[in-house]
Amino acid sequence: MNTAKLVRMANDIAANFDCGLDHAREVAGVVDHIGRFWSPYMLDTLARQMQAGDIGLSDLAEQALKELIEERQDR
Amino acid sequence: MSRSDTAQFYQAYRRPDDQGAPPSESATMVQLTIDGKPIAVPEGTMVIRAAALAGINIPKLCASDMLEPFGSCRLCLVEIEGAKGLPASCTTEVADGMQVTTQNPRLANVRRNVMELYISDHPLDCLTCPTNGDCELQDMAGAVGLRDVRYGYAGENHLDMAKDESNPYFTFDPSKCIVCSRCVRACDEVQGTFALTIDGRGFESKVAASQDQPFLDSECVSCGACVQACPTATLTENSLIELGQPEHSVITTCAYCGVGCSFRAEMKGEEVVKMIPNKDGHANHGHSCVKGRFAFGYATHKDRITAPLIRESIRDPWREVSWEEAIGFAADRLKRIRDECGPDSIGGITSSRCTNEETYLVQKMVRAAFGNNNVDTCARVCHSPTGYGLKTTLGESAGTQAFDSVLKADVIMIIGANPTVAHPVFASQMKRRLREGARLIVIDPRRIDLVRSAHVEAHCHLQLRPGANVAIINALAHVVLSEGLEDRPYIADRCEPDAYEDWRRFILEERNSPEAMEEVTGVPAEDVRTAARLYAAGPNSAIYYGLGVSEHAQGSTMVMGIANLAMATGNLGREGVGVSPLRGQNNVQGACDMGSFPHELPGYRHISDAETRGLFEREWGVDLLPTPGFRIPNMFDAAVAGHFKGLYVQGEDMAQSDPDITHVSEALSSLECLIVQDLFLNETAKFAHVFLPGSSFLEKNGTFTNAERRISPVRKVMKPLAGYEDWEVTQLLANAMGYPMNYGHPGEIMDEIARLTPTFSGVSYAKLDRLGSIQWPCNEKAEHGTPTMHVDTFVRGKGLFRLTPYVATQERSTSRYPLLLTTGRVLSQYNVGSQTRRTRNVQWHGEDILEIHPHDAEQRGIEQDDWVGLKSRAGNTVLRADITERVQPGVVYTTFHHPESGANVVTTDNSDWATNCPEYKVTAVQAYKVTRLSDWQQQFGEFTETQLELLRKARTPVSA
Repeated sequence: MNTAKLVRMANDIAANFDCGLDHAREVAGVVDHIGRFWSPYMLDTLARQMQAGDIGLSDLAEQALKELIEERQDR
Repeated sequence: MSRSDTAQFYQAYRRPDDQGAPPSESATMVQLTIDGKPIAVPEGTMVIRAAALAGINIPKLCASDMLEPFGSCRLCLVEIEGAKGLPASCTTEVADGMQVTTQNPRLANVRRNVMELYISDHPLDCLTCPTNGDCELQDMAGAVGLRDVRYGYAGENHLDMAKDESNPYFTFDPSKCIVCSRCVRACDEVQGTFALTIDGRGFESKVAASQDQPFLDSECVSCGACVQACPTATLTENSLIELGQPEHSVITTCAYCGVGCSFRAEMKGEEVVKMIPNKDGHANHGHSCVKGRFAFGYATHKDRITAPLIRESIRDPWREVSWEEAIGFAADRLKRIRDECGPDSIGGITSSRCTNEETYLVQKMVRAAFGNNNVDTCARVCHSPTGYGLKTTLGESAGTQAFDSVLKADVIMIIGANPTVAHPVFASQMKRRLREGARLIVIDPRRIDLVRSAHVEAHCHLQLRPGANVAIINALAHVVLSEGLEDRPYIADRCEPDAYEDWRRFILEERNSPEAMEEVTGVPAEDVRTAARLYAAGPNSAIYYGLGVSEHAQGSTMVMGIANLAMATGNLGREGVGVSPLRGQNNVQGACDMGSFPHELPGYRHISDAETRGLFEREWGVDLLPTPGFRIPNMFDAAVAGHFKGLYVQGEDMAQSDPDITHVSEALSSLECLIVQDLFLNETAKFAHVFLPGSSFLEKNGTFTNAERRISPVRKVMKPLAGYEDWEVTQLLANAMGYPMNYGHPGEIMDEIARLTPTFSGVSYAKLDRLGSIQWPCNEKAEHGTPTMHVDTFVRGKGLFRLTPYVATQERSTSRYPLLLTTGRVLSQYNVGSQTRRTRNVQWHGEDILEIHPHDAEQRGIEQDDWVGLKSRAGNTVLRADITERVQPGVVYTTFHHPESGANVVTTDNSDWATNCPEYKVTAVQAYKVTRLSDWQQQFGEFTETQLELLRKARTPVSA
């Protein structure tokens, strides 16, 4: 799947949780959202690309995705 | 088992009862006697209605229970003891102890004299008249015993007046008019368009459309209320003129928009003579629009495909085959793809045009037979942000009110919706309330009709820039909080306190003030303040919104912003207030309710919830995946990437309706098996390998759920043209895929839905037959359904204020693309137009037009009706220009009813952050004068011609 599009989607989600009030809650919000609405294939595609290097994710998006990927690996 | 048989609702045709005056809402009862019969009726009831309720029919011509009392025909005169003269019973209110006489020689004589005068100027062609057998004038002549017209017929008369046949659906024959004004009053009171008047005085009086113009050229919106109101053959449906009187009727539900009007299909055998809005219809109360009442001809159009078709590749001619062969071909291909490429490689799309039962079955087939959650529906591209936003804040993915609630609203705020064209019947109800004095706030980049039209004027119109919705809603909330206009006891009692405090802190930040946002919104801060104060003052303030809210990069944020504002001002949980999404398709609410989204099961329960999943696993006898599947745009991206290869599409046309058509076409071309089930060879079907003929709403049983959560019955009035109802086709495919389904009737499917879905647990066909319609939730707590939601507590418990930061869309005007394109609809056409383009509605809108402001047009040397090229980063197309101030400078507007217009070639893949709902409402474009169609349009034309030729080959018998 087109990585640039997935990155844009993740960044859009992060931007809409980013209110500058409570960072931990914002990360949790992004984690929850992507976990609830993205198919595993989309997440796996992005996870693979993230390992390859910087793909243009915002800080909040990147942090949340890393948490989500770890969470899935733990399961 | 509960099942509804059409036979039970098959009634011999007769004109619906009319009580002569509308009901009174009063709770105080009044006792009176009519012809010696005692009766108690609500105070304020007219005598004519009281008599009708007592079973006494007083002759009448100008009176109707759909219209306010008028008192012009003088037929309904009665004697009232102690009263002078003979008062008209239609304009006389009942009084305690009143004694009324409706029949005696004196009254009979007066009535006969009145009829004699009417008939002296009326053609006596009853036997050949279209309304012969269903004419109130004829009935009244009979009722009063008119036997002779002493004046003769040779005097001055109106018999030579010419017919107006300009309207494609009805004929105006003024020679038959008795000037009772029912048509004029229906246009004013029921429809609210004020297109008709009585022109002239005395003998010269006649009904005139607008400035005495032909109906088609006038302001008439062709809703047909006048035709329905006419007691003679002056205004008559052309279908009735052609076919004669119906012999039976069946109550069913319209298949156009989300208003979900109830209709009586008036039939002659299996042929529809007329569609007459049902007076007992709870969504429409006897009113309709041009589409529902007149535009049903598509159902029997010659383009209907009535035999299954298959082909190996989209370059091959179609082959007409048996159902068995087509289903076998489709199932084999899907199974092969699944085996070779994995269970994630196939999916299905449910239809918001089909019934709840059909939609439920498609998602069940995908989850249980395909073995994944790759199911989605067209709500993805319209109101998916509504589902997300309202679920998050209030706890349920649906509007909070009944349509009737608007009649108790004091302030109406319309955001990004154009009800007079997209939800016309509800718009008429809203206009009625506005004429009664409710105040109106419109938030829209365009000057929609409601901003200023007959007897309606918006108190404020916040004409914001496309893409600035969240900026406006935050600014409105900022004014409410900073000026102390919030409802503190309500917030304390009903909402989560911590979330409220966070939201309050956030909204009060200076960046959210109307002054700070002015640069983004383009709306003067003072206007925002006026609107916020008006909305907060209420006392009953109601928000209605449409796709202008949801189809944005921040669609979901905006929905939550709307819910926040309503909670903060205490405007949820009673009649007259609320948050009401005006949903597009007839059954888009139902499609969502039925679990069409890839992340949730019926009743909006997340697929990861083990308890809910277990419920379905036990009922369906399969294991379900706990992770979300692909949404429509994800399916397309995965198809282009080669991961997704098989798709079953029931009643949706993504190749016309979805954004960035070039990308959609690429995705559809990449599929190895595309199965389309539809009425026509639509744009998507041109990329298909299997075509399964669908059935129209007239050909099946089931239910639709409208925008107010109202479940209404759909009843079969004719046999399916291709032999099967749509649910039966899905069942055949599921069985061929190896998952057994054995439903005998849609009622059984509804029973299964009720067993599995708490909000539907009290719904059955038997109850629908009894009540007419039911608003969910309907269960042990609300046996008759729930008109108003969140009454004492929110569905989620405490209301949740969600933070709504404004994030500018990436679609912004640049020097290369300096204009913003926004899209919408017109009254006469419906969405992709596959139905309405196959009716005479094309007379109103034969092509899509580009609206452009005079200033922008002049800068580009564009004149009225010029061909204009429209270019975005996604693609370009060519449309004809309409130069108008309805759009503001810098904004252009068009519709997407005709595929060759290519509006969606221009729209981009930008989408709502939460749901991937496309941002149809904002595309940065350039416009320039051109002399020929775009390359895309030329290729489209060639592709269409090729595909139609491949279809023609299927129909041409091959010689051996």
